[in-house]
Amino acid sequence: MKLKARFPQGPDCTVDDLLADVTREPEGGRLVVGDERVRDFLASFSRRLLRPETARRFPELGSLGFFLRRGEIAKAIERLHDGASGNRYLPRGLVLHFPPANVDTIFVYSWALSALSGNANIVRVSNRSAGAAETVIDALNATLAEAHPAIAQTQRMVGYERDDAVTAALSLACDLRVIWGGDRSVTDIRRHPLAPLSRDLTFPDRSSFAAVAVDAWHEASAEAKRRAVDGFANDVYWFDQAACSSPRVLFWVGASVGAELAREEFMGLLGDAVAARGWRVDAAMAVEKHVATYGLAAEGAATRVRFAGNAVAEVELAEPVRMQRDWLGAGTICHATVGSLAELVPLVRRKDQTFSQFGFTAAQLDEFVTALAGRGVDRIVPFGSALTFASVWDGFDLLREFTRQTTIWPG
Amino acid sequence: MTTVVDGVFTLSQADKQERLLPELARLTEHHRRNGEAYARILSATGHGPDRDYRSVADLPWLPVRLFKTQVLKSIPDESVFKVLTSSGTTGDVSRIFLDKEAAAAQTRMLSRTIQAAIGRQRLPMLIADTPAVIKDRKSFSARGAGVLGMMNFGRDHVWALDPQEKPDVEAIKGFLAKHGGQPFLIFGFTFMVWLYLYEVAREHKLDLSNGVLIHSGGWKKLIDQSVDNAAFRQAFANHTGLTRIHNFYGMVEQIGVVYLEGPQGNSLYCPDFADVIIRDPETWQELPPGKPGLVEVVSTLPESYPGHALLTEDLGVVHGIDDGDWPGKRFSILGRLPRAEARGCSDTFSGGQA
Repeated sequence: MKLKARFPQGPDCTVDDLLADVTREPEGGRLVVGDERVRDFLASFSRRLLRPETARRFPELGSLGFFLRRGEIAKAIERLHDGASGNRYLPRGLVLHFPPANVDTIFVYSWALSALSGNANIVRVSNRSAGAAETVIDALNATLAEAHPAIAQTQRMVGYERDDAVTAALSLACDLRVIWGGDRSVTDIRRHPLAPLSRDLTFPDRSSFAAVAVDAWHEASAEAKRRAVDGFANDVYWFDQAACSSPRVLFWVGASVGAELAREEFMGLLGDAVAARGWRVDAAMAVEKHVATYGLAAEGAATRVRFAGNAVAEVELAEPVRMQRDWLGAGTICHATVGSLAELVPLVRRKDQTFSQFGFTAAQLDEFVTALAGRGVDRIVPFGSALTFASVWDGFDLLREFTRQTTIWPG
Repeated sequence: MTTVVDGVFTLSQADKQERLLPELARLTEHHRRNGEAYARILSATGHGPDRDYRSVADLPWLPVRLFKTQVLKSIPDESVFKVLTSSGTTGDVSRIFLDKEAAAAQTRMLSRTIQAAIGRQRLPMLIADTPAVIKDRKSFSARGAGVLGMMNFGRDHVWALDPQEKPDVEAIKGFLAKHGGQPFLIFGFTFMVWLYLYEVAREHKLDLSNGVLIHSGGWKKLIDQSVDNAAFRQAFANHTGLTRIHNFYGMVEQIGVVYLEGPQGNSLYCPDFADVIIRDPETWQELPPGKPGLVEVVSTLPESYPGHALLTEDLGVVHGIDDGDWPGKRFSILGRLPRAEARGCSDTFSGGQA
């Protein structure tokens, strides 16, 4: 079985050759945490992604380019506090990444942070990748021309058809295995054992919800309301509301009369925002939404289903409210009204990842996290940031995960 | 052309509307009272018991795929006599619950509809399939079930394919030698009829001119070969002499209803107890003749499950009303909506995180 060398682009190679190559000591010595050779590479890669023609065609690559700017990278490394109080951070060694098939750019974040941590990396990229993913790989290859040779030697992206022997060999050789892309992929890849000192970092299926503080909504300026709705629209409609961070339920937190009014105003603005952007769903998606929402009604989980055109569907969740975690088609918003954030606590599970919110104070959110007592929720973000990738993801500080710590106690 | 006494293609569109509307409104109430899940859907979608319906198009419909995700029935468990299932492409299966009366009505209405094409006698029958499809009666496919259902309308059955799915030219020749001089029935799935029977008949210059062909199953597999209904009919007429061809459209979720192609071809007709409504998938309003949209099917037969008004995932177009071989709407099926897919993450979409 030969692997297709996508980055650096080259002739097909065997697993053995690949492993021998990436683990050999590169020119200029082994990579270190925050390695200058990697920083330089990421910085020029970032410039390439931020070129107007690329960023315009794939807005998500613009976000990625922004994330990888030299200054941002420097800040991320500083947060490690390498060397402070006798704590040193070292690369783990060889990191193997299994990115999801359908989200085009996540593998780049995962790989870039691991490279920045000084690791050699092997990323399995889909052979069927298209669009943004293809552009990323082209940009990486183009950046290579001016890069230090250590990059091409230690950083590899390969494609191979589903093959247990290859996955098994790579798994045994790596020091850290990173698996994105759903419960089934995680379980499937985990069948292959790791070396005793190695470990997995997994990103399985997650779901997310949102909430509006009703009082804060009523006090907000028209401009703040419009901005919140625009942000929420992005959170919902990008990735067809199917990303792990896309909110499915929108909770109205406050007194029910005020909640009713706030919701009406909010949904009116949302309809305008969606129409203004010309976002539509096609007939197949419209049918999907009908099947899903009628199904909720049939099961007694929804008391009201309403379509304002095909693009926006609203579901009123039945009392007592259950969290709605399933994908219901792009642009399906499940509403529920609760008196306080405390009422959400028993609904939250470990699977719940992102809580997008409008109008809560930092103190209220902090109190909510305390009350959750670890039940779930990995990140709380304002409307409009649900899908913004951060180096702390799913509760993991990725730079820490991609490094190991050496402690120095001089005695 | 067969004269239809006691036929099921008799009502003009105006008469049909008048007859269907109260009956379908009654069924809506009947299923509301007898099925909790259906009642909840009506209540959630604003169809209260006091709502007045002025036309068939105003009645609430269910997306047909709901029968794959929910148990929807209007009879108690102990009355369930038969559960019809259909396998979908994604592996999930519709389940349609029938009691004794519903099962009997299904068979009765199906017979009356098919008789419009073939008359009341059982004709010698050539099946464009292999006996293997009905071999294991416990687990046969939708194709096997279709073949078995149609076999009731014929006699002296002969299979055009052998158990290894190879055309059995000798068997076909034997059948034609014995029965080819008088009317006989041919049945098969559209792509099987084309790939096996047509090709064989053409190659061996077989005379099918006394045949009546009934076929169904859709054109998807023939599109690649640029064969549509008109080309299909033309080819059979030119090369085998077969001109009495009736395509039909139907689904397990709508028991006892087949939308049958009229004698002149290229249009499907609705039996008196059923109708189609073409909807704009953006506004959900009914579309006039000539405008393609999503096909809603209505029928007065489903008493045991709420299947009297179903939105299919098929695209279709009404060509005309009261202007064809038979009264009522004449229409065509144009294809199927693709299944919606999302870019995001979940097991269903084998995607990832964002």
